[in-house]
Formats: sequence, structure tokens, C-alpha cells
Amino acid sequence: MKLNSFDKSKELFLRATKVIPSGISGNKNPAFAVPGSFPYFAESGEGCRYKDVDGNEYIDYLAGYGPIVLGYNDPVVEAAADAQRKLGAAFNHPTPRAVELAEKLVDLIPAIDWCAFGKNGSDVTAYAIQTAREHTQRRKILMAKGAYHGSQSWCRHGLGGLIESDYEHVLTFTWNDADSVMDLVKKYDGDVAGIIITPYHHPAFADQEMPAPGFLQTLRKICDDHEIVFILDDVRAGFRLDMKGSHEYFGFKPDLTCYCKAMANGYAVSACCGSQPFKNAASRVFFTGTYYTSAVEQAASLACLDELVKSNAIEHMMKMGTMLMDGLKKTAADNGLEVRLTGPPTLPFMTFASEKNFRRSQLFSGEAAKRGVLLHPHHNWFIMRAHKEADIQRTLEVADACFAIVSKEFGKD
Amino acid sequence: MKRLPGKIFSTALVKAGVVEATTERDLIRAHMHLHAVLPRLADLARLDDEARAIISEMNVAIEFFVPGGPKVVLHFKNSSVRAVRTGKADVCLMFPTCKMLNDMFDGKKVTPIPIKGVHRMGDLKKLTRLTDILTRYLKPSQSEMADKEFRAKHVELSLLVGLAATEAIATIEAKGRRVASHMPSGTMLYDVKGGPKAHVIVKDGKIEVFPGAIKDPTTTIEIRDVDLAVDLVKGEVDTFAANGSGDIKASGGLALADEYNALFDRVGLYLS
Ligand SMILES: Cc1ncc(COP(=O)(O)O)c(C=O)c1O
Repeated sequence: MKLNSFDKSKELFLRATKVIPSGISGNKNPAFAVPGSFPYFAESGEGCRYKDVDGNEYIDYLAGYGPIVLGYNDPVVEAAADAQRKLGAAFNHPTPRAVELAEKLVDLIPAIDWCAFGKNGSDVTAYAIQTAREHTQRRKILMAKGAYHGSQSWCRHGLGGLIESDYEHVLTFTWNDADSVMDLVKKYDGDVAGIIITPYHHPAFADQEMPAPGFLQTLRKICDDHEIVFILDDVRAGFRLDMKGSHEYFGFKPDLTCYCKAMANGYAVSACCGSQPFKNAASRVFFTGTYYTSAVEQAASLACLDELVKSNAIEHMMKMGTMLMDGLKKTAADNGLEVRLTGPPTLPFMTFASEKNFRRSQLFSGEAAKRGVLLHPHHNWFIMRAHKEADIQRTLEVADACFAIVSKEFGKD
Repeated sequence: MKRLPGKIFSTALVKAGVVEATTERDLIRAHMHLHAVLPRLADLARLDDEARAIISEMNVAIEFFVPGGPKVVLHFKNSSVRAVRTGKADVCLMFPTCKMLNDMFDGKKVTPIPIKGVHRMGDLKKLTRLTDILTRYLKPSQSEMADKEFRAKHVELSLLVGLAATEAIATIEAKGRRVASHMPSGTMLYDVKGGPKAHVIVKDGKIEVFPGAIKDPTTTIEIRDVDLAVDLVKGEVDTFAANGSGDIKASGGLALADEYNALFDRVGLYLS
């Protein structure tokens, strides 16, 4: 079998470094995957597969870091987007699509009464914490250590470009430790505006953690007792666990909810949604951007959400994800290796049980990419509706070869 | 003269208007000068013949300190140098403020106050010769850099200074403390191909730096060659771009590398 090589990706990257800071910025920079054994630039996609600039094709489990929920180039979504494109993409005003999409989300998600639209997840998580501050007239925001809520300065990773006041009112607690939340609430009594949380813990470079029984419900109670706004960041998991929102899957009720990735199958749209009592505060926060109202994405979202519901996509994705997780565990064991598979089946992640430094993961992912399967070594994966049993089977065949390489290099567990 | 408790002494000087209050920046730089730059004399004993000859003639412990600020004791004994942060010395040099200490490292004329061991002028002269050699490696001329062997030594010493200086960022700087508070523990190997190696041990936010390799590091940073490392220690490399192009290869625990790099990137703001 001829292994994939990445010469054009590297060539293009060298060109990029001359005209773009760091070549590719943020988490899509090659440094975060397996430089040299991973594609850097994409060309086209269809279903659960995409091609990179070298012409290599992958069965993809990264889905553009989440948005591709149906599959690349989905005909129904593309038709809806095309139809809107013919009418026009951006205007002086929103189009009826904005109202239709807000109505659709309000119908779909029992916990919400209103929505405001942005482009990226970061737009709406920032808006949600501002709405919480406006509603409570308080300053502090509590978030879980290691959680990712976007690239705006209140929660930005690293130090570049930040000053202390950007994050001085953002405090961290430990996931699944309600006492650590309560400690902060007590310490900053009367000054905590909001608690923002993902429905389960999905930090990069780590196993995923589901909520311990009662954890999210306890946070709800803390918020009620102390008049704190409870914000669910469902940007990553939204519409992959439950079409009514991931809080339904875990049995709790947030005050504000943020959606983005799976909303529109790759079109740039995000939403901050909330229940009635928070609507006036949300109105008072100036929230806009040149493209926040652009219609093509909203039309795509309407079609995508319909498709997800109509085709019962989550049930199918759960099945495919379970098959992948079980299959990987067994295939690893067949090669004398122990792996941990964590997270819900539609957003699985794998680590090697005998290491903490990801060297086995990096070798595994690099070898899988060379064989046409894209599994990120450090970031959770995403299942799409387009994944079929045959794709999972092919993935497991490739995984078998890659586990054999890992076990040869590092020894059996 | 009896040693006054440092904090009281420095506060009194500030109050009397003799010296200015220490800023966070001054304190960080002083910490770096004493705990990242001066300890490199130990590496100089290994890397430079002339320095080794001078060190072999010394048997003395020399202390640099700022009252209420950082302190280092350099033990010269048995042809080697050991830098520690506590204990007694034969010669004590006091710098009334961090700024004065920093001025000296910046090449300005500063006379420290000898508190003990004034008579050991010979040792102090030798120390000056050693720091002159160190400065030559850390701030080399173009002609010196033309020599391949010299370049490798420049890179090793500069890399060790840069890595060791991250400790001051992690413990003193408000921004750095934020990063250090969630930096995972582990070890990092810096491997300059065809050149030196150095490693960093991070444990519960504490940072220690050593020359040479370490077995089974959490994270490995391979640097293409000495020339790239020269630019890297000057802070002139876009490390994300270099990672993608393969000039720098980071493998293993990248969460540690990522957090640590955020500290390393800031060293140039204080040392140049
Ligand atoms: C949970 C979560 N919140 C917020 C964001 C930020 O979204 P975006 O990158 O679209 O700004 C992300 C992105 O990965 C995310 O996973």
C-alpha cells in the first residue's frame, strides 16, 4: 500500500509562513497535530471524506473541528445555501431567514425563548457572559479549569496580547467538584455573575470526562440559590447529543445556551439562546458584526437542523460512534495494547492507557493519516451522519495496522 | 558590619528617599541575573578553557544579594562552580536595590557594597574575568560568531539562560504566574541537532533547568541545527511556523510545551 505524503501541504505552509503569522494560526497550526505526518491544507470534501492539497483522501473524524455533522457537501444544505445565495448573501438588514432560524431553535429547544446570532462560538460565549453580567450587574465568571470557551480575551489561551484586566474576573473551578464552585461563590459572595460550563468536560490533551451524577444539577441549585446565571456552552457538543440541547441529554436546565458547530454543517453561524428572564439584559448588550446577519449561513442552518431531525441523525451517529469505540478497544487489545475511549459515542476520544505524554497517540495518528484516516492525537473526534458501517470497518482495518506499529515501537502493555 | 534584615533595610532606604521602590520588572530582572545568568559560570567551567583555568585556582564562596530581594551564593571549589540560594559565603556583595544590580549586568558602572571579605580582592578580580568571558558568549561579536564551535557554546549558554529565566516569569510576573498555575508537571528535552542539549524539569509549577539530556522526557523539542538555535535564543523564530515546516519538531506532551513556551516567549522582554 502506498502511504500518503504531504509535500504540497508543506510547500503551501512554507508559502503561508511568509505572509501569514505562524502560517496557520491557532489550533489548526500543524504544531498541534503531528507535523510532517498530517495534512495542513484541505482541497475538497464529500460525505465523511475529504481530500487534502496533495490529493490524499481521508475518512475524517475531525469534521472541521465539529461543524460537519451531516457530511461534507451535503446536497440538501448546499441547495438551501445556493437558493439563498441567488437572492443575496449580505444586505443592509437581516432577511426573513434570521427570524425563521430563531423560531426553529425556540421550537426545537424547550429551555429557550429567544436567540441571537453570531458567526463563531467565541462570539456567542462572550455575548453570554456579558448578558449574565448585565442581568446580575456583577463581575465574576466561573469556568472549569482546562475548558475551552473560545479565543476572545476573557478566556483566551496563553498570554499573547492579553492584559491582566482581560481575565481578572474569570475564575476557575475543578470539573465535577461542586465544592470548588461553592468555594468561589462564597469567596466572591454577591459578585458572581455567571457560571459557564460545557455539558461534559472535553479539554484538549486529556481524556474526556462525563458529568458525575448530580454535578450539573448541583450547579443549577447553586445558581438558583445565589442568583447566578447558568450558561451552557454547547458549541462543541450541541446537536450531537440531543436535538433539544445537550442539557436534555444530561437532565438539567441552563439559563443561557451557546450553539455553533453542528448548527449549519460548515456554514458560519452561531447562536446565543436564553429563557425569557434574560431577554432584556441580552437586548442591552450591543451585539453585532458585519456578517452576523448574513443569510446564506442562516438558510444552511435551517436546512441542516431539519435534516438532523428528519433523519434521526443522532441515533445513527451514536451507533457509528459506539461501533468505532468498541472496535478500537478490541483492535488495540488484539495488538496487546490498552486504550481508553472517553466521551459520548458521537464525540469520542482515544488515549493510550500506559502513557500521559501522547507519544503513542502521535505515532498512531500520524500513521493513520498516512493510511487515509484522520484521527486527531490531542483533540476529541466527531462522528458525522455520513459515517457508515463500511467506513468504520475500514477505519478499524487501518487502526489495526497502526496499533501494530505502536506496539512494535513501544512494546505491548 | 552586622547584616540588617533585608526587607527592613530596603524599606528604610526607600523611605529615606535614597533609592526608588522596586518594580516588578526590576525584581524579575534581578532574579534572572542572579538565578539564570550567574549560575552559567558552572557551565563555563565545562565549556571554556580559560574560564576553567581561572576557576581551578579559586576556593571561595561569593554572595550577591539585594536586601529583601534575590540572593545567590557561588561556591568555587575543586575546579567547579555551584550556585545556591541560601547559606553563608566568604565574600558578600550587597546591591542596595534590584535596579543597581541590573545596571551592573547591563554594563553600567556600579559598585556593590562589600559586606564581608573585602580583603579577598584577588577572588573578586577572578570573578570579574569570569563574568567577562560569560558576557563574551552571551553577547558575542559577529567575528566570534563566525566560529562554529563558539556558536555552539553561545547557543548552549544562551539557551540555558533563557530556560532558567522562565522561573522568574513563572514565580514573580503576574501574567506568568497565571500560566504556571495550570502548567502540567513533566520534563522537557531541548535537543539542538549537531549542538547542545538542555532539559527542564517542571514540577507543580516549579522550574529547574540543567544542561544535557534527560531520559524519557515528557516532551522533546528538536531544533534543526545550531544556526536555527542562534535565531531561536535571539527570539527571532516564529516557533509555530518552524513547527509546521519541520525546523522545530515538538513531540510528546505538547500541553506542557505550549504552556512552557508562553513563559519562554516572555524572557526576551526582560533579558536582551
Ligand atoms: C466548547 C467550545 N466553546 C467555544 C468554542 C469557540 O468556538 P469558535 O472557535 O467557533 O469561536 C469552541 C471551539 O472549539 C468550543 O469547543
